[in-house]
Amino acid sequence: MTSSAAIGRRVAPLLACIGLLAAWQVAALALKNDSFPTALEAMRAVPAILGDKEALINILASLRRMAIGFAAAVAVSIPLGLLMGRSRTVAAFFNPLLMVIYPVPKAALMPIIMLWLGVGDIAKTLVIFLGVSLPVIYHSFEGAKAVEEKMLWSGAAMGLSAAQCLVRIVLPAALPEILTGCRTGLVLALITMITSEMIARQSGAGNILFNALDMGQYDTVFAMIIIVGAMGIGLDAAFEKVRARLVRWSEPQFDMPLSFS
Amino acid sequence: MKVLPSRSSEVATPGPARQPATAMIEIDHVSQVFQTSARKDHLALSDISLTIEDGAFVSILGPSGCGKSTLLYIVGGFVSPTSGSAKVKGKTITAPGPDRGPVFQEFALFPWKTVLGNVMYGPRQQGVRATEAEAQSRALIEMVGLKGYENFFPKELSGGMKQRVALARTLAYHPEVLLMDEPFGALDAHTRTRLQNDLLNIWERDRKTVLFVTHSVDEAVFLSDKVVMMSRSPGRIRQVIDIDLPRPRRRTELLLDPRYQKYVVDIERMFDDIDEAGVNP
Ligand SMILES: Nc1ncnc2c1ncn2[C@@H]1O[C@H](COP(=O)(O)OP(=O)(O)OP(=O)(O)O)[C@@H](O)[C@H]1O
Ligand SMILES: [Mg+2]
Repeated sequence: MTSSAAIGRRVAPLLACIGLLAAWQVAALALKNDSFPTALEAMRAVPAILGDKEALINILASLRRMAIGFAAAVAVSIPLGLLMGRSRTVAAFFNPLLMVIYPVPKAALMPIIMLWLGVGDIAKTLVIFLGVSLPVIYHSFEGAKAVEEKMLWSGAAMGLSAAQCLVRIVLPAALPEILTGCRTGLVLALITMITSEMIARQSGAGNILFNALDMGQYDTVFAMIIIVGAMGIGLDAAFEKVRARLVRWSEPQFDMPLSFS
Repeated sequence: MKVLPSRSSEVATPGPARQPATAMIEIDHVSQVFQTSARKDHLALSDISLTIEDGAFVSILGPSGCGKSTLLYIVGGFVSPTSGSAKVKGKTITAPGPDRGPVFQEFALFPWKTVLGNVMYGPRQQGVRATEAEAQSRALIEMVGLKGYENFFPKELSGGMKQRVALARTLAYHPEVLLMDEPFGALDAHTRTRLQNDLLNIWERDRKTVLFVTHSVDEAVFLSDKVVMMSRSPGRIRQVIDIDLPRPRRRTELLLDPRYQKYVVDIERMFDDIDEAGVNP
């Protein structure tokens, strides 16, 4: 059964996109400002960028750093968050550390990190790593803390050791919460990726964007914004697909892919 | 009608081959103090001593908040008592173990596992081969009346169904002692009666030791060899009543049995006394 409500849910995002582009087009035409190209001009520049080999190499380099930074952050943050959630001692040790790091914009650490590690891949990947870590640690921590005690007792009665309980009960039980953190982390990875390249201009999608800005190629600037935005939406939607599949056992949640959640 | 001798008369029968009943669980002067959020000490259990024989079915009865669950957790090894000690087969309880299987009031199913996955979890953990564990688990799921629900997730079940899965999950790994915390509390009268009968059948077949917490006088008398009456604030053992009724017990027959009726009425009166005492501490 495809009700009109279901069709509406499908069409609504499309309408929103078209509406946004139309508003942009009208505003740009009305303002007639050099630094504000119309939506059509910007979109016309997109294939030009994607067709350029150099630009493509830059974008792929960005994505590679982002993937590595994200994967490393998730691999470290999930175990750390889970341990913090189940052990007061571990939490007491790491909590002050995280509280200090939390409010600092990770890109603001870029200059120092560059000083130590240079402007290459390592520095930029590290910033992405830091950006992704905090939400993943936080959500893993909250998820682990909320695991029902009787569930762990049930496991212990079946003969699971403490370590087995952590991997085989706390991890799956906290998975919905963990994946919420990972999803926020993914969007943050994209943001820190661009900002790190803004500060350490050498390669990458951010590099193309800010170089174009310096040279006054505003259609390229806006085309890059469209490309980065599309990457973000695509990654987020893909992640949401995976997430929904992994936690279909969980309580039904508001299942619309909201990126700012 | 065939009336088998009751367990207590069996034990009382003199004979050289009869082993004296051995203690399975010994609770020795156990007290439990909880720190409440108001930073005041709350005495939940006060000086509890109780011995449960191997193969006995013992019910704990008492008003809400008298410490029934807490006592069960201590025997399970999930909570260590503030003072006193609890032993299973002569060994002091320090941790949970597969010899004591809990069925929690809150079910505590694994929500990421299906019904079958939940029931198979214990046997698999104990190293039973997957095919064998699955066959046993399917039989247990059928026994608790959930055939056809094997691939459902806990969130897709009603409260009573979850409770039955929890029971099957614990039975699946064959603990010697069953620690059941109001396992039939969320069931309708009909299912409740059916599962009481099933539990009695299992118990009569395997002679597990059962520690059974309940609010229901009727249920306690129907199922048990012994009913432990507790009183509230602090939780104390008020009285231990031996239920001397023949087994196997049939509910329809027992309801007409004056001895059964007397047990129920006597215990219900005692319950009323405790309740009144609880209102004016
Ligand atoms: N973790 C805890 N911290 C503080 N107090 C607790 C804790 N657990 C239980 N208590 C207190 O101990 C007392 C006994 O609780 P318990 O859960 O054992 O009661 P119960 O007899 O099982 O009640 P019910 O029949 O309602 O399940 C209660 O007064 C409760 O407030
Ligand atoms: Mg209780």
